[in-house]
Amino acid sequence: MKTVDPQSPYFIDSPGRVRALQAEMARAGIDVYLGSRLRTLSWLLDTFCPWRSFVVVPAEGPPAAFTFVIDAARVADETWLPEDRVFGFAPMGGQDQIELIADFVKDLLKGKRGRVGIESGMSNYLPEGNLTHYEFERFRDALAPSELVNAHDLVDRLSLVKDAGTIARFREASRIVDVGHAAVFEALRNGGWKGMTETEIAGLAALAMRRAGSEWEWSFTGGNEIASGYRTGLTGGACTPASRRELRSGEPLMVDIHAMFKLGLGDHSHNYLIAPASDRQLWHARNFTDIVALTLETYRAGISPSDLAEKMIGFAESRGFADYMVPGFEHGIGLMGDEWRIGMNDGPFPYWTNPDHRYRENELLICAMQYACPEEAIGFRYENPIVIGKDGCEALSKFPLSVDVIS
Amino acid sequence: MSTFQYLTEEWRAEAERRLKAELTPDRMNHITSSMSNVYLDCPGGGSKYLLFRFADGALAELALGSGEPPEAEFHITGAYDVFAQISRAEIGAQKALMTGKLKLKGNMIQALKLAAIADRLNKVLAGIPATY
Repeated sequence: MKTVDPQSPYFIDSPGRVRALQAEMARAGIDVYLGSRLRTLSWLLDTFCPWRSFVVVPAEGPPAAFTFVIDAARVADETWLPEDRVFGFAPMGGQDQIELIADFVKDLLKGKRGRVGIESGMSNYLPEGNLTHYEFERFRDALAPSELVNAHDLVDRLSLVKDAGTIARFREASRIVDVGHAAVFEALRNGGWKGMTETEIAGLAALAMRRAGSEWEWSFTGGNEIASGYRTGLTGGACTPASRRELRSGEPLMVDIHAMFKLGLGDHSHNYLIAPASDRQLWHARNFTDIVALTLETYRAGISPSDLAEKMIGFAESRGFADYMVPGFEHGIGLMGDEWRIGMNDGPFPYWTNPDHRYRENELLICAMQYACPEEAIGFRYENPIVIGKDGCEALSKFPLSVDVIS
Repeated sequence: MSTFQYLTEEWRAEAERRLKAELTPDRMNHITSSMSNVYLDCPGGGSKYLLFRFADGALAELALGSGEPPEAEFHITGAYDVFAQISRAEIGAQKALMTGKLKLKGNMIQALKLAAIADRLNKVLAGIPATY
């Protein structure tokens, strides 16, 4: 159990979050909440749960965490919950996750029956952690005659607007990412790029960020994403795990690196042209930096993803580069495990961002843009966590926006 | 050497004597904990329990009874025959747990810390000449 310092800039009122969820549960007629999504575990337990884990939230009192036994002592050491509220499950009689958790839940229910909120749905993010079909059936049988109801929207609603501690963690993670970018820049310049591979760039950024306090390169897309040459311009290609490709002169280079600080996530892309850069390449680069700058100027409370996309594609059209823009300008973000979908699950396509979601102050998202021209083997990516404000947004990574020509 | 009928008062008294003699507080890592074995389908029907309570590594209580077991940090439940097999060293307690023949209730994190101690305890019990 870690000591929590309310004076810390990174303080999160976890018991307050639990009480808020319990109030929502009461309104929704949920007796016990069984969370399984990584985003819910991070949000409630304030520790990283890389193995299959669950959190059981009773109608009142502290929650209990359940994780694979090999990691349970570490989770108990790092979460704010007392040690006796963290349980390890294992393939042993009475200790498998279904029986252990179902018994625990039944003890919380009056007469061993009630309404149990679970987390179901779908996601394009693989580690989302919704209850699997098998888990659902097993829990349903083990908890009978209790009713299992999908209740993830309770946590989604509460975790949408970020508190000061969460934003401070993201700010620090972004500062660390900037350290990584500075290290990459230093390593590339003055011919340092010669003979270097994408994986090597990923590694040297990781080393610099870890030295600066990053816990890991959290992205499930392969940690630090590095792309060079034609790989920068893959159509719609916003996922480029580093390859063993060697950098070459006259080619673009995309450096998209990730740091984690207390579950807060840094995610920033910076782009290069390895000299000599042609006029055409520089034209693409200007298009890219101009649309990024305009996008950052446009974000504010009250606008929606579709409003913003319309304006930006209009701008790209007016400048003659709309063909190269992927028509999306952001993705959702929160504490580790909360990625991609923005807002509530209330859009035209279930479990995708609602394009008409209206941003509110202190929502956090990744401003994300992909510029790709496959026929010219060139592309750029922008990612930066931003905090939505009343009249604008705060870009958390401060690394200067440019496409640097490296010789 | 006399033999004892398993899970009788005589067997319990012999178990207590041996546990106190063979398991010093140092050997028991000065633990303070309690564990109840719950024996289902006992000969003659019904269930029995054997409660172990340790304080600073010393055996403070070894209670034998029938019906509902008292409160304890851990409960290990299984058929009488399975416990008898463990006592005869025909099957290990760990294997019985891993194959679901025994069920453990209690916090696994704490149980892992006590696994080696439980083995020592079982070895002492297995040394009691018994009939089943």
